Amino acid sequence: MSSTTLEPNPSGRRAQGGAAPQAGAPSGQAAHSAGGPVSPGPGPTFLRVLNSEFIKFRTLLSTLILLGSTMLVMVGFGALAAWSTGQFREQMASDPEAAAQMAAQGGDIAVSAPTSGIAFAQLILGSLGVLLMSSEFTTGMARSTFAAVPKRIPAFVAKFLVVVVVSFVLTGVSTLIAGLVSVPILDNYGLSLDLASSQSVKLLVVNSLYVAAVASIGMSLGSIIRNSAGGIMSLVGLFFVAPIAFQLIPGDFFEEARKYLPGNTVTPLTAVEHVDGNLEAWQAALVLGAWVVVPAVLAMVLLKKRDV
Amino acid sequence: MIEARGLSKVYGDKTAVGGVDFTVQAGQVTGFLGPNGAGKSTTMRMIMGLDTPTSGSVTVNGVPFTKHAAPLREVGALLDAKAVHTGRSAYNHLLAMAATHSIPKKRVSEVIEMTGLADVARKKVKGFSLGMGQRLGIAAALLGDPQTIILDEPVNGLDPEGVVWVRNLVKYLASEGRTVFLSSHLMSEMAVTADHLIVIGRGKIIADAPIKDIITGKGASRTRVRTDEPDQLMHLLAGTGVSIEAQDHELLEVKGLDPRQIARTALENHVMIYELTPLQASLEEAYMELTKDEVEYHSLITTGAPVPAQTGGK
Repeated sequence: MSSTTLEPNPSGRRAQGGAAPQAGAPSGQAAHSAGGPVSPGPGPTFLRVLNSEFIKFRTLLSTLILLGSTMLVMVGFGALAAWSTGQFREQMASDPEAAAQMAAQGGDIAVSAPTSGIAFAQLILGSLGVLLMSSEFTTGMARSTFAAVPKRIPAFVAKFLVVVVVSFVLTGVSTLIAGLVSVPILDNYGLSLDLASSQSVKLLVVNSLYVAAVASIGMSLGSIIRNSAGGIMSLVGLFFVAPIAFQLIPGDFFEEARKYLPGNTVTPLTAVEHVDGNLEAWQAALVLGAWVVVPAVLAMVLLKKRDV
Repeated sequence: MIEARGLSKVYGDKTAVGGVDFTVQAGQVTGFLGPNGAGKSTTMRMIMGLDTPTSGSVTVNGVPFTKHAAPLREVGALLDAKAVHTGRSAYNHLLAMAATHSIPKKRVSEVIEMTGLADVARKKVKGFSLGMGQRLGIAAALLGDPQTIILDEPVNGLDPEGVVWVRNLVKYLASEGRTVFLSSHLMSEMAVTADHLIVIGRGKIIADAPIKDIITGKGASRTRVRTDEPDQLMHLLAGTGVSIEAQDHELLEVKGLDPRQIARTALENHVMIYELTPLQASLEEAYMELTKDEVEYHSLITTGAPVPAQTGGK
């Protein structure tokens, strides 16, 4: 252990040293101890809490690693998808059957290459959302956080904003880079991809919003469950297990309910044209919105009510 | 000043804190003493607004903690040595906490210097010893330069140098007119640190008095007497309210008389005494006496049977 000083306040903001403890008495300290509603200084405004949550976000190595791997996975899968699309195209040139199949699908497979890593991005960033909140409770950090912000809700909302904005931006940027990597690969096979086309932009924006939504749901789950493993399991259950289970269980109810799972809102949102039996784009947007808002509200109510 | 009125916390059918009233005054170190599981930490968490009381209320400087405009500048607390994400460095932890109250970076560096963490401030808290964790917790408590400081078991895990440092620090803070509320289950530490003592056992306040009164109050003071003629002296001193115990050959312990009265009786009766020592109950004794019925977990020592002793947990 390094050396210690006895002077609790070397800055001299208060009476210095044990020898003359009264020296600074007529200063602000005396006024404060006299009682009175003197404010001792700035308190937690929303912007300050947001700044604090952003500092917390960027100072964890594990968070940065998860962000980096998301980008890596997105770009990697984009390149892979572009390459396999090209391979498919080559095959198609010598196989009229495949050509017919591709034509039937309405053509442009290349446009979705940059977002082909979304399934993994949502898993990583969703888990990150869970961890950012559950770790507050598992490490005891919550006691520090909510002692500094005893109203609690501003801290939740600030963290929520950080998670949503970072997930959105990261997914968007990763998609863009994946697109830039895909273009020359596709070009090699004589396929063209216009990153500025409306469908490209739509895919980028919708998928980024979707991943941000998943991360926010993860954070709400982390806040409600307060346990990392439990939170991540619930998230995986909701996004990966439920869609398959709903498909396997016979009956119209599950067939219908399946459309309202959050993971199944992306297809109607990015569809070039409406497919019968699917949700309309605006309906899908509402469903996804509800999946974000309801858990968040529940998380906030519980956070306010429960002991830390 | 911290004021608790009818403060209670019930978990299911277990009462952690049972309607306590106490006041912690500014300008002195108030010790909060009690065995493990007595309700010390729960009480402190309720002061900090982290746990909601089942009933009753607690205020800091007249206002509930959660209603203060700048809570960290009002009250600083060390509630748990590791109320920190262990993947973050000490500096970044303090920086994030400071950001909520616009506390400048300069102050962060100050508290790091003050708590002797300068060498490790940029390292992850994961590698910290318990003592370093305590120092970080104290740094966080001092961050807002608060008028009220609450420390839960601050000397746990500190080396002897650290113990002395905490002792001097809290005395210094109290001398500046701040309210210092310090919990411990170590009576010896309280005896040298605190000015006032609140003793809690099984969620109830057992004693609330200046430390001097607690030491002298219980089991009135005793006097050790050595004499050539113990039997005769015992006979002479005997009376109502006086109890004498022959402890050894020529050694008596007298309760209920002060040394002056004993000396006078001996002189008048020409009994020679060669030791007359006033004995003070140690805080340990006073504390054991106070809490003997209130300990949550008694050590069970079963002779013969290989049953492990059951000791208190937290």
